Parts: sequence; structure tokens; C-alpha cells
Amino acid sequence: MNFEAVIVGAIIGVAAGWLIRRWLAAARRRKEGGCAGDCGCATKLKK
Amino acid sequence: MSTPDAGLLVALVGNPNTGKSTLFNALTGLRQRVGNYPGVTVARKSGTCDLGDGQKVELVDLPGLYSLAAASPDEQVVIDALSGNIAGDRRPDAVVLVVDSTNLLRNLFLASQVAELGRPVVIVLNQADVAKEQGLRIDTELLSRRLGGVPVVLSSAWKGEGILDVRRAIARAIAQQTQMKRVTWPTNIAAALADVATVAAADTGKPISEAEAQRLLFDTNPSTADRLGWTLAQREKTLRTARDRVRNSGYNPMAAEPLVHYAHLRLILEGVVTEGAGKAGRSAAVDRLLLHRFLGPVLFLGIMLGFFGSVFWLAKFPMEWIQAGVDWTKTIVAPPLDAYPMLQSLLADGIIGGVGAFLVFLPQILILFLFIGILEDSGYMARAAFIMDRLFSWCGLNGKSFVPLLSGFACAIPSLLSTRTIEDPKARLATAFVVPFMSCSARFPVYALMCAAFIGPTYGAGWQSVVMIGMHCVGLLFAVPTAFVLTRLVLKVKPQPFVLELPRYQMPKPRDVIWRMWQNAAEFVSKAGTVIFAITIIVWALSYFPRDASVAERIKAANPSATEEVVKSKLQAAYVEQSYMGRFGKAVQPIFDPLGFDWKITVGVLASFPAREVIVSTLGVTYSVGEGAEADSQHLRQAMQDAKWSEGPRAGTPIFSLAAVLALMVFFALCSQCGPTIATLAQETGGWKWAAGSFVYMTALAWLAGTAVYQVVIRLT
Repeated sequence: MNFEAVIVGAIIGVAAGWLIRRWLAAARRRKEGGCAGDCGCATKLKK
Repeated sequence: MSTPDAGLLVALVGNPNTGKSTLFNALTGLRQRVGNYPGVTVARKSGTCDLGDGQKVELVDLPGLYSLAAASPDEQVVIDALSGNIAGDRRPDAVVLVVDSTNLLRNLFLASQVAELGRPVVIVLNQADVAKEQGLRIDTELLSRRLGGVPVVLSSAWKGEGILDVRRAIARAIAQQTQMKRVTWPTNIAAALADVATVAAADTGKPISEAEAQRLLFDTNPSTADRLGWTLAQREKTLRTARDRVRNSGYNPMAAEPLVHYAHLRLILEGVVTEGAGKAGRSAAVDRLLLHRFLGPVLFLGIMLGFFGSVFWLAKFPMEWIQAGVDWTKTIVAPPLDAYPMLQSLLADGIIGGVGAFLVFLPQILILFLFIGILEDSGYMARAAFIMDRLFSWCGLNGKSFVPLLSGFACAIPSLLSTRTIEDPKARLATAFVVPFMSCSARFPVYALMCAAFIGPTYGAGWQSVVMIGMHCVGLLFAVPTAFVLTRLVLKVKPQPFVLELPRYQMPKPRDVIWRMWQNAAEFVSKAGTVIFAITIIVWALSYFPRDASVAERIKAANPSATEEVVKSKLQAAYVEQSYMGRFGKAVQPIFDPLGFDWKITVGVLASFPAREVIVSTLGVTYSVGEGAEADSQHLRQAMQDAKWSEGPRAGTPIFSLAAVLALMVFFALCSQCGPTIATLAQETGGWKWAAGSFVYMTALAWLAGTAVYQVVIRLT
């Protein structure tokens, strides 16, 4: 595997991993009754 | 940022529209921290306030409210914050009560309730300039004496007058611990309050303050009892007996509190305010015109037309500068990577092309929020609510639905959360269901791109504004009948009265407007640097891979006499078509064919389901990859204008015809394309049933409306 493919693969991997981590965190926040928004806040909502 | 001395905390409390936030900004400057109160989505805005003698305190701006009866999460937060019942927050060392100088009696009702909490108080008579203009003279010394010696200060926060006096008054209140004179309860009510406090303390094992006893006795909302852990079974009999006692003394238990407070305040205010000759009613004169039954909506439409027209006109040059910056960055980044075509394409076409296509809209977003800020701070937004309320009351929505629907034009998520202020659960559900129809700001870049690329150049700038307003009305057009059917036939909502306070007209304060515009711009840029950045990399990868070497040989063999440029162009197009994205787009495209979408638009539409604005960066990548990394000056708009159908009955005709452009905008105006909105709807409606229903209904409606628009317009043009 050449250098270029390694760099491009790493960039794509980091981007995909970051997005998946973000979506999983949002899902966990929702499960805990938190804000479902994309604002990144960790606010919990009163049921 | 400097830190407050000795951890002193001062709370700013007042009715809405008293200039409380302007005073907060004046006292803290821009040294503010914004967070959330734990447990609720209510913003906690605090800042450091210098008291003028070197002493610093933390000043917290609490949400505006009319009374301490907790009917909404905002009001509950104020009560909890003032009582020191918020986890991780201290009980305030002093309370600054911001009062509208032109309406002392009504505003002091809240002050009188806050006095019951037993904290040192400062009374700030804000908007003193307006009171003076109206010929009102307020004897602050007399008022201070009657209120038990608490500092009473005149100020005009938006003019920056009296701010130093407010700082000194806070220092004095903290030093002297002066409390406001409290109301004297009639004997029977006092006895009822004492009974409630005694029984609640015995049942819960906690000491009950006088303020808590009042909330337990007078409020129908059980939030205080719930917080204290006083169960329904325990409290039912005690409260019934206590309320009967209040009733027997000649007071309706639900109205006793305001009646006693107002009687107390009338005595205090006697001779405090004297009326002279003044220019009263300038707002009323303007309102006669702006709220006129027929002229009002016409003027509203005119203001909106001017508003959107200006957004395009003013943003034109800054957008060109950003585009030039993006192109320049490509010319710097791409050439050194000629030996690495894959990496070159990722950086130039994917990241710079995709994020750049999104960032180009920053000037329009800035100007949009500048105008929204001006409309809000001038007092016109509340008038717009009043004008539009007629429409919503017709379709059976609760009057209180209007505010969430109006804020839905900015973002559906906070507006879904704000439906909690609607007491009737059925009306709340109906409002939440139609909120996603409001054209949120994420749809704006899509409309802006289409209008700037196709409507403006072909039909002129005037039509650009008309189409923009039209797109903001499309959602409304479908929301009204949807709400009508839901409220009248499905949920059978009972209409409720709606009271809206119209604030006084005033000149918006530039610093406040620019600060809010800056905050929104920062959020937009942060989104471009995070979510959009990551998604463009994925979209690029899907539209770049796989790259089959045989494709190049096939193209060369099929075009033996073609120039190198033509072969290169055909090769790029072939690569994109056989990429994962191309194959997927082509497979799904037949579903969107009736709307006139090619496979590239189809890919953009599908990629936009997590977040609408992603289509702009997706089109930026797919059209840029197709053009090759060398096409540095090729703007997305130009690439889209040049795009033509390559096969089928439409071969050779532009992909972005007027019909397809309108269909795409109508599709985006109606489609449920925002993951967080659907999740919030599920959360607020207590399950996925309504959220799934909303998604299916809106997406089907968008497809049908888009198809209808395309099929009709294509036959007419």
C-alpha cells in the first residue's frame, strides 16, 4: 500500500469514526433523557 | 476573564420586555458565560459585574416572568434559582428587580412576591427615559422609604444611563442586607399558610419557608409540592381545608395572592408617581398603522420582501470575496500535490470544494440574523406574531402555538421544546407536529443557492426575493390545513384564549444585535468546520472510489480522435458515474425522476436526510469531482448551470431547468430532512409513533408537491 493511500485512508477513517462517535453520543444522550439537538449541549430534559 | 470576589451571586429578575437583558449586557459588558440549568433546557446566562468600587460579583440573568406561580420550566427555574434549590448553584446574595418605569404597579407585583423570599433587593426602574417622555415623574426616595429602605434606582439601560447607580445600589444592598417590605396577609390567609407550612414540614420532614407555603397554597401547579416530596395523598386534605379557610374569609383561593399584593402595592405607590404633560402613545399611533386589519398584513409582506431582497443584495460582494478565497486556496493547495492525484482531489474537490460551497453562505446568514435581531429588538416581531395569530387561530391551533411556530423559522429543535409552554396536551401535540413545516434557517442555503444560480440570473433580483418568500410560505401553506385536520378532526382541540404583550417600539441597540449575529455566525462556522467537514470527506470518498483503470482505456478507445482535454473531461464524468455514490444515485434516481432530479441531485437529497444544508456541500463535491481538480475557478453555480442530461428523452437539455429548480426547493421546503428534529419530536411526544408519522407524512407530501410542481412547470415552460 502506498503512502498516498495510507494518508487518504486515515483521513476518511478519522472522519467516519468521528461522525459515528458523535451519533452514538447523541443517541446515548437521548436515551438518558437529554437534549436530542445538534447543539452539542449535555442538557438533560425534565420529563 | 476576571473572577467575582468572595463568590457573591446577584440575580437579575423582571417581567419580559423590561430591558432586563439590555441592563445585564450593560452591567457585564461582553464578559458573559452561557450554559444551561441542570435538568431543563433553560439557558443560564451569567457574567462578572464590577460594582464600581473594585468589588466584583457574578450576575445571573434569569428568564423574564410575570409572577412566581410556576406554570412553565422557565418560571420554575427562576423560583428554584432564587430559593437556592438548583444543584451546583448558590442562593443569590441579592436580587436586582428590573421594573418598567411606565408600569410600576403591574411590575412591582413580581417584586412583592420576590420580597417573600427574604433576600436583599435592589429595585431598578428601567426605561426611565420613556417614562419621562410620557410625562411621568417618579419619587424614588419616597418609593424606597415605603419599600422598607431598599435602594430604588432610575436607569435607561439601552441609553447606558444610570448604570453606575445600579452598580452602587447592588453594593449597598449587599452591604446593608436591606430587605423589601413584605405584604401583610389577612388573618385567615395567614392562618391557612401557617397550617400548610406546619403539616408539610411534618409530612416531609423538611423546614418549609413562608414563600414555599405560599406556593403550595396558591399554585394549582404541583411543582413545589413535588420538589419538596409532599405527595398528593398527604397534601390533598390539608390544602383543601386551607383553601376553604381562604374562601371563607371572602377571597377566591386562586385569586387571593394577587388581590392582597395589589392592595399592598397600591398603598405603597400612592403619591409616588405624578403624571404631567407628555408625548404618550407614540407606539399606539404606529400600531394603528402596522396592526391595521388590512394594511397590517400588506405592510408585513412588504417588510419581508425588503428583508429578503436586502439579504441577497448586501451579501453579493462578501460572497464573491469568500468564493475568491476558496478558489485561491485551491490554487495554492492543488499544484504541489500533482504527483498525488487522489490526495489532491480529496483536499481540493472534497474538503475545500465542499466546505467552501457551504461557507460561501456565511454573509447571507450574518445579514439574515442581523435583520432578525433588528426586527426583534425594535418590537416588530411581536406585532408579526399578532398579525399571523389570526391565521393560526383560524386553523384551530392554540394561540400559544404561534411563538413555537415563529421560532421554527430559525430552528425546529428549540421551537419543539418551547411547545411545553402550551398547557393543553392535544394542542401541544398538534403544534409540535406542524413545527417542522416552518422553513428553518438550514433550508436557507438551499433556497439561496437555487435562487442565486437560476432565478436571479434569468428572471431578475425581484423574482429572487419573491421566490424566497414563497418558499418560506410553502411550509406554512401546508401547515395550516394539516393543523386544521389534526386539531378539528383527529385530536379535537378546544380553542383557548391567547394574550400577547406588545412591547414598546424602540431603537435596537447595535451592540446587542451584533453580538447575537456573531453568536449565530460562530455556530455556522463551527458546523462547517465539524459536521460538514466530516460529511464532505465521506461524500468525496463515495464519489471517488472505486477507480477502475480499465475505464480510462475504454474512454480512450471510444474517442480516438478526441483532444486530451475532451478525453480528460469524459474520463472524470465516467469515474464519478461508476463510483459508489454514482451507482447508488443511479439506482435510486428513478424514484426522484418525476421531480426532474438527476442522480447527482438524488445523491444530494439522500445525503441531506441527517441535515438539510448538507446538499450544498454534497453538490459542491459531486460537481467539483466531475470537473476535475484543475477546474479551480469553476464555481458550483456555474457547474450547475452548465449541467445537462446525458441520456434519455431529456438528453442535451439543462438538468436545472426552472421546473427542476422549483421542484427541488418545494421538496426541501416540505421534506422531513433533519435527524435531530425527528428525535426531538419523538422525545416531546413521548414515543416514536408521531415522529414516524411526521417523517412519512412530510416526505410523501414533499415528493407529491415536488412532482406536481415539476410536471406543471415543465409543461408551461
